[in-house]
Amino acid sequence: MSLFGTNTGFGSGGTGVFGSTTTDSHNPMKDVEVTSPPDDSISCLAFSPPTMPGNFLIGGSWANDVRCWEVQDNGQTVPKAQQMHTGPVLDVCWSDDGSKVFTASCDKTAKMWDLNSNQTIQIAQHEGPIRTIHWIKAPNYSCVMTGSWDKTLKFWDTRSPNPMMSLQMPERCYCADVVYPMAVVATAERGLIVYQLENQPSEFRRIESPLKHQHRCVAIFKDKQSKPTGFALGSIEGRVAIHYINPPNPAKDNFTFKCHRSNGTNTATPQDIYAVNAISFHPVHGTLATVGSDGRFSFWDKDARTKLKTSEQLDQPITACCFNNNGNIFAYASSYDWSKGHEYYNPQKKNYIFLRNAAEELKPRNKK
Amino acid sequence: MGRKKKKQMKPWCWYCNRDFDDEKILIQHQKAKHFKCHICHKKLYTGPGLAIHCMQVHKETIDSVPNAIPGRTDIELEIYGMEGIPDKDMQDRRRVLEQKSHESQKKKQNQDDSDEEDDEDEDEAGPSSFQQPAAQPQAAYMPPMHPGPQAQGMLPAGYPGMPPMLTGVPPMIPGMPPVMPGMPPGMMPMGGMMPPGPAMPPMMPGMPPGMPPHVARPGMPPMAPAAPVTAPGIASRPAVPPTQSTASKPLFPSAVQAQQTVSGPSSTTSDSPKVTFPAYTQPSSTPPVAASSSTVAKPPATVTSKPATLTTLSATSKLMHPDEDISLEERRAQLPRYQRLIPRPGQTAAVAASAPPSGAVGGMIPAQRVIPPQQPGIRHPIHGQYGGPPQGIPGYMAGGMPPYGQSAPMVPSYQAGPPGPPMGIRPPVMSPGSRY
Repeated sequence: MSLFGTNTGFGSGGTGVFGSTTTDSHNPMKDVEVTSPPDDSISCLAFSPPTMPGNFLIGGSWANDVRCWEVQDNGQTVPKAQQMHTGPVLDVCWSDDGSKVFTASCDKTAKMWDLNSNQTIQIAQHEGPIRTIHWIKAPNYSCVMTGSWDKTLKFWDTRSPNPMMSLQMPERCYCADVVYPMAVVATAERGLIVYQLENQPSEFRRIESPLKHQHRCVAIFKDKQSKPTGFALGSIEGRVAIHYINPPNPAKDNFTFKCHRSNGTNTATPQDIYAVNAISFHPVHGTLATVGSDGRFSFWDKDARTKLKTSEQLDQPITACCFNNNGNIFAYASSYDWSKGHEYYNPQKKNYIFLRNAAEELKPRNKK
Repeated sequence: MGRKKKKQMKPWCWYCNRDFDDEKILIQHQKAKHFKCHICHKKLYTGPGLAIHCMQVHKETIDSVPNAIPGRTDIELEIYGMEGIPDKDMQDRRRVLEQKSHESQKKKQNQDDSDEEDDEDEDEAGPSSFQQPAAQPQAAYMPPMHPGPQAQGMLPAGYPGMPPMLTGVPPMIPGMPPVMPGMPPGMMPMGGMMPPGPAMPPMMPGMPPGMPPHVARPGMPPMAPAAPVTAPGIASRPAVPPTQSTASKPLFPSAVQAQQTVSGPSSTTSDSPKVTFPAYTQPSSTPPVAASSSTVAKPPATVTSKPATLTTLSATSKLMHPDEDISLEERRAQLPRYQRLIPRPGQTAAVAASAPPSGAVGGMIPAQRVIPPQQPGIRHPIHGQYGGPPQGIPGYMAGGMPPYGQSAPMVPSYQAGPPGPPMGIRPPVMSPGSRY
């Protein structure tokens, strides 16, 4: 299938696909708009895995729905299906074979959505809203991992109503990521726990947070051999920490950088500091993207420790982002994230998901 | 690292009191933070240099050093790295450092001075060392663990069953018998092991639970008294960790070698870095600057207490986040418009019957797990939750019921709860929206 990469029908310059209005601040980057976006804030996005042909995007929203679009090579997006929960959907993920989608909701349940039959069944139950959901594929087992505000991390075989395992966490789960055999969970009160998933999931290490503010998002990165080796952790204070699990020299290898702040280096005016809402690593280049409450996205090279690009400012915060499986498409969602409280919530305001050609902009900078 | 003579202390910046490992880094910091022109971003070398540049090139005067703490903003003072610092401030600093190092020695080994709470991290590696605090507290409590829990840890006699976190220590004990004969003569040769006689009594109480297996081993009876004594001995022996690693569960592939090598040399510093939550159970030796102290109090902070509020770090920056230290999603999920009991009209009948008894479940479990996370600000347990689950289970199988035909196991977790005051059914705030 042709990739988005070099086709001219897609990319910078407003495409005629969905006639977005000119230089509106809702789409200053002139990226492709996904059709039929959800009616309320988008909480999570996930692209289909490489095991299935084509690019399918799943988005969960605060309107209790999960939507699936097919993203075609020419940039067109076709809504395919939708499922509902009884509460806002907070996280979604794909199974490794691309046939199932798992959704986690504030209604304390998680569901498995079989895309072929378009049926859903409940596969998990918590005592509080489920904040994160990830599919784990190990050589000797497969399961769904759910992290909840009830302070537990549970692992579910989708065929049984009882969890295979339940691990207690010190605090409510705020974000998590899984790259076998490693899982990282960041909790309230700046908790940070790494789990190892070989044989069976177990707690590996609790790490003292490299950040001084509430944890908001986390993403695992891999080394040159495609083994998970560390993670990027974002906080509400416009800062991301790059943390290696077993670095040769922690003081030198681990670092933090500031992002999603107004005013750059100008110290004259007070600086607005925004939360980092999501972090995603490019599957091929290993560079990362961050999106923030300030309505911008930025691309970074963590090895060269440089910023690659920062976007123009959208008129709404960017709440979610993800790369497709070959790294050619970067999807980001523009909707309100509650960073200014409920006063600034406008239910009438349209929510957007944008797709951007990511093949070029995320190439790593050569190390200086 | 760096030179040995740093005027007897690590390089520090006179303008902002930050510590640095190296004078070179200190100078880089000064150039970037204090001697940088705000107009053209040119980096000068000194304060007066910056003043002159601004005057000549931009015709602008500046009267204070950027990013300096109050009292240290003098633009006229020619300071470069550690040179030019007035003696008085030098001595003040030395005194402060002495006090601090005395304090930290009194507490359990905390990290070194370089670990300041500082928000001004740059892109260069300026962060405090996170790994060390994790390592040192472990050393503090590892030794006491040796005699007791490990013995019990090995009793289940299942390596596969042992959590990898404890691999650092328990395998040592089963490793002991095979290792013993190979032990250097300085240790416990099988033959004569009476030297540790006086040490035995204190150790014995800890060992008995673990001893029976040892005692039962043929030819090993003499091990019993010897074992407890060797345990602490082994702890300090770098030779042992390699044996234990054979029994340990493989951890992250990229990390396995690192850990095995770490377990060797690290035994000289902190025994077994693999043990969990050292830094976490001790409430944050570096209390976060911003989060108020109530968050630092204890990790499993009771959420029913007033949520901690954030504080901005300086007058020059503002955190675009609501004050309470709960996540944005939690805050938003508290709103009634996002809390619904009835999902679909089709299920209303079935659900309505069950809703009153079970819908209240979330409500009247007083402040346990369900309510507090969502509504820290609202103390009432009665306030409704997302009583989604009960009706969600049978009702939601849009197509098939098969796997959850016996959904009973899941439901009781909610309906089994004692019925409470009927919650009432929330009016569906949001219709499913545009469906296609």
